[in-house]
Amino acid sequence: MSETVDKTALISLETVSRSFGAIRAVDGVSFDLRPGEIHALCGHNGAGKSTVVKMITGLVQPDEGRIVVSGSESSIRSPQEAQELGIAFVDQELSVVPILSVADNIQLGGVSEPFFNRPGKTRGRVRELLDMVGLQGLDPSDPVSGLSMGGRQLVEIGRALGRDARVLVLDEPTATLSTAEIEHVFSAIRSVAATGCGVIFVSHRLDEVLELCDRVTVLRDGKLVDTADTSAIDVDQLVSMMLGDVPPAAAPSLPEQGRAGRTAVEVSGLAVGARTRGFWLKGDHGHVYALAGQVGCGATEILRAIAGLEPTATGNVVIDERRLSLGSPESAVAGGVSYLSNDRKGDGLFLGLTAEENLVSTRLDDVSRGPLLNMASLKKAAVGLAETIGLAPERLPEPAENFSGGNQQKIFIGRTLDRSETKLLLLDEPTRGVDVKGRMEIHKLVRDAARDGTTVIFASTEIDEILDLADDIVTMRSGLVVGRHPRSEVDAELLLGEMTHGQPEKVPA
Amino acid sequence: MSRLSPSVRRRISGGAPFLIFGLVILAFLLVPFYSTEAISPFNGYNTLQSASSVGLLALAVGISMIAGEFDLSTVGMYALGGMLAVKFGGSSPVLGVLIGMAAGVVVGAIQGGIIAKLGISSVPVTLGGYIALLGLTNVISGGESVAYENFNVGLWLDQEVLTYFSPRSLIMLLAFVGVAALLRWTRIGRDLRAVGGDRRAARAAGVRTDRLLIGTFIATAVISALAGALLSFSIATAKPDPGGSPLVFAVTAALLGGVTLAGGRGTAAGILAGVLSLSLLEEIFVIVATPDYVSNLVLGGLLITVVAFDAPRLRDRAIALRSRAAARRISTLQSQRIRREQQR
Amino acid sequence: MSGGVSGTAVGAPEHAAASRGARRIILLILQGLVAVAALVILAGAITTQGFFSLDNVQAILASVGFVGMVAVGMTVIMISGSFVSMSLGTQAAVTAIFFIWALKFGVAPAIATTIVFGLVIGAIQGYAIGAFGANPIVLTIAVVAVIEGLVVVFSSGGTQTPPDNAYTFLNDTHFGLPLSFYVMLGVVAIGELIMRRTRFGKQVYMVGDNPLAAYVAGLPMGKIGAGVFGLAGAAAAVAGIMLGAYNQGASLLLTGSLTYDAIAATLVGGTLVSGGKGSVWKTLVGALVIATITDLLLLRGYSNGVQIMVKGLLVIVVVIVVHLRSQGRPS
Repeated sequence: MSETVDKTALISLETVSRSFGAIRAVDGVSFDLRPGEIHALCGHNGAGKSTVVKMITGLVQPDEGRIVVSGSESSIRSPQEAQELGIAFVDQELSVVPILSVADNIQLGGVSEPFFNRPGKTRGRVRELLDMVGLQGLDPSDPVSGLSMGGRQLVEIGRALGRDARVLVLDEPTATLSTAEIEHVFSAIRSVAATGCGVIFVSHRLDEVLELCDRVTVLRDGKLVDTADTSAIDVDQLVSMMLGDVPPAAAPSLPEQGRAGRTAVEVSGLAVGARTRGFWLKGDHGHVYALAGQVGCGATEILRAIAGLEPTATGNVVIDERRLSLGSPESAVAGGVSYLSNDRKGDGLFLGLTAEENLVSTRLDDVSRGPLLNMASLKKAAVGLAETIGLAPERLPEPAENFSGGNQQKIFIGRTLDRSETKLLLLDEPTRGVDVKGRMEIHKLVRDAARDGTTVIFASTEIDEILDLADDIVTMRSGLVVGRHPRSEVDAELLLGEMTHGQPEKVPA
Repeated sequence: MSRLSPSVRRRISGGAPFLIFGLVILAFLLVPFYSTEAISPFNGYNTLQSASSVGLLALAVGISMIAGEFDLSTVGMYALGGMLAVKFGGSSPVLGVLIGMAAGVVVGAIQGGIIAKLGISSVPVTLGGYIALLGLTNVISGGESVAYENFNVGLWLDQEVLTYFSPRSLIMLLAFVGVAALLRWTRIGRDLRAVGGDRRAARAAGVRTDRLLIGTFIATAVISALAGALLSFSIATAKPDPGGSPLVFAVTAALLGGVTLAGGRGTAAGILAGVLSLSLLEEIFVIVATPDYVSNLVLGGLLITVVAFDAPRLRDRAIALRSRAAARRISTLQSQRIRREQQR
Repeated sequence: MSGGVSGTAVGAPEHAAASRGARRIILLILQGLVAVAALVILAGAITTQGFFSLDNVQAILASVGFVGMVAVGMTVIMISGSFVSMSLGTQAAVTAIFFIWALKFGVAPAIATTIVFGLVIGAIQGYAIGAFGANPIVLTIAVVAVIEGLVVVFSSGGTQTPPDNAYTFLNDTHFGLPLSFYVMLGVVAIGELIMRRTRFGKQVYMVGDNPLAAYVAGLPMGKIGAGVFGLAGAAAAVAGIMLGAYNQGASLLLTGSLTYDAIAATLVGGTLVSGGKGSVWKTLVGALVIATITDLLLLRGYSNGVQIMVKGLLVIVVVIVVHLRSQGRPS
């Protein structure tokens, strides 16, 4: 740990802390970025990385400690002030407008962009920026919508450079990219660093961190673990820095086996989007399968494709010998699929409707007599489900948006339970935004569903959850499967290792 | 279509409005061949005349659609602008127009403010605005059409200039040129399309979306007021209720001109092409003496067609069908090849 | 929790610029204005000659009949998230024409076929909107133009006149109120029943609340859209039947301001513009409020223009208030 702060640093954080209510998100972290350096920021979920980034980009101010930019103490109170201080940020949720051209996107929203367009001057400048990020062959008047994620990433980096940034912060830039695109982004980053800018590279992908970056800072539980030269450490050391001590209580305990049986679900040759090819999975009745991987590993796309939400997906999904028609959620539901997305607010719950209405939304046929609803059986079904998921029945008439995140997730899951039509239960991040107690309750519900014979496939980035819930684990990275193991054969280190730098398996012909 | 390079594809879709205009011109020039009527330069003048007011309306509605919104109150401002111009333009027509446009600034600022700052959809707000503006126009006019005594203004506005034009149509064309210049040569064009294309991304990138939206609604109101004023001077009357057809024309012209309902696309030149196409089409109907209802039907049917093509899920289904068909073809070919290899 | 930094998009806030505090102030001001306006209206009502007379009350109630029926359909459409249909008023007029024409087959067959006719016209539009995601406003604007054109084709533009007087019982008055008022109550009751007590109704609320979630959950978007607009079309057809009977003939002029009045009633009744919330009987209340204010203005001698203007301003104010209140919920 560096004791003295580097005076030539582009930006340095000196023992900063920040709390949100009772949670101490960042606790006494020190960090500095030298000119021309590519500095990685690593840490597992909840480590405090996002808060540190928000402090640097002006969205959050530290409670304690100070931030020094180019030698003078600064307070960065807004994204505009960050821009003025020469700090540029490329978020994982890109801010390129697909309909506009590359050139337009590069110029978009810059504080110092002129009012009148000067096409001659602009063409030259845009060309320079594009060359710098490795997009030499790209026609600046092409629309961004035609670019891959990698290309769009590079355009945003180009935009940041065009604003004379001295500090470039990249959040998970390679999570959704193919190998070739990652190489392009790396060269762009290297050229940027070569001009004297500093780059902060936030990433889970440890092999890339070691390949690209000069130093790496690891956070855990809001505290600084260490800042090290990447030439001095290896992946396993990084993994143990991120995980800390593995408590003995987390030693594998075999979870209850669901009712074993013949293959209920068979997925083969599934291809989605630009990266995922040849995904296969044979699922037994009553088994729980985990798709384990970091953000952007492709698990979400797989689940969405099986649920019928990806019209361009190709391949075969067969449930109880009945083939699903991909690209139609109606067909998936008719085939026995129940899908819970990772965005319960976006495409999951009906927030304006009551908890009761949300719970029975998938079984309206069961509580109807002809076209009319049987209000008595509707109420009965809702109360039954509320008790199953541990929700006070008195709260049923409240709108779903009134509930806490954990309770919302329970309502979301509750609507798929106790339905004989559900043969395959797909869950994307089943306990996102849920506290420990809620997580235990939800895991029990999933186990109960499996015991009733349902096949469960869930996607998760949380190692604890994967180890707690799954019978079989399929690890994924960059859209491809990198490992398949029964639960008894894995532990946290193996999992994290595969998730961060595993190699794709051979796809059967 | 997917094999073409993006720049070629862009040029094709960008050129669609002009292609359509070309086809309509062709249909016009061929009139003597498929009907008993003749064509003359007067038809060109007539076309531009009828395009003059609804054309500006199309420009206004089109601008709001590029920004990803939909200004239903434009017809209301059209009525109000005309009424104010007539009421206050007795001695000085310019004053009348300016007062109409000033009212547009106020109305646009209020609506834009509500929409941008409170995050309410433009549809209900401008719908309420439309009703309120019609009511206001009604109040000012006492419920009846108001005559404009100064006939000379109308005569001057509609005199023939260079055979095909008139001061009124030249003003309209000038407005289009002005807006086109603004959109093309200043950052407003880029920012407007960004706000329409992906508002969240635009805001994250640093665009001042609120200011832009308010400015957009001010522009639509002012342009609509101008349109109404010009029409009222021309026919020397201000009508309290223009009816529903100006909006149908304006929206159809904008959509034909390359503007999309989703937002983020469209140019002033394209909208002008759409306006002229529709006006010329209507002129053809007049020459060939088709009854009113036919042109109504054609216009409505045209709009339905364009809306259907613009519908997102229809496109998704088409894409899905295409890719599924492609995948099926691939697997059929694969199994054919395997069978052939096994037979060897 | 998951994904570290990428849990939320770090950057500009998603919502519009006016801060929480500013919105609360605006909401308070507007609600205050509404309260003041209500008092003014009450004072006006008390001081106006004959406002509380039986005749006047009957006049108010009678005027709500046609708008009320069309507004039932408009409410269902708005709840389903499709904003509005700009063609409902025209549909009422064209079904009136159809009804008068169909009277030559007898009253009962005419009523039945007219309702079916209205349902079909609506369902076609609704399917395109639900299954393909076509823009409802623009599509229905276009449908108006097409209907107007087709009407001329089939009836040469003139007014349809009924063949005999068998239908005139539809204009009878019972207990001082015309039959159309009671029919309207019936339509409201059926609408409320469908929305609250059927599977279809619940699905409509779901689609309106979160169309993406509904799609992901496998709801049949095309069928639901057809059902929503079909229901609205049927309600508009009932209005058309009563309108035709009332006018003893029918033409496109019957459209009048029905569409906008129905929209105003729906919005003033508190239906959320974005969908997922609202109820049919509250729209009836909205219609009554508008009818009462209009009547008051009329009695006090204000012109037609003022009435329309007040209606428009009322719509804007209510939309803002409803929107701001729906945002203030705890999360």
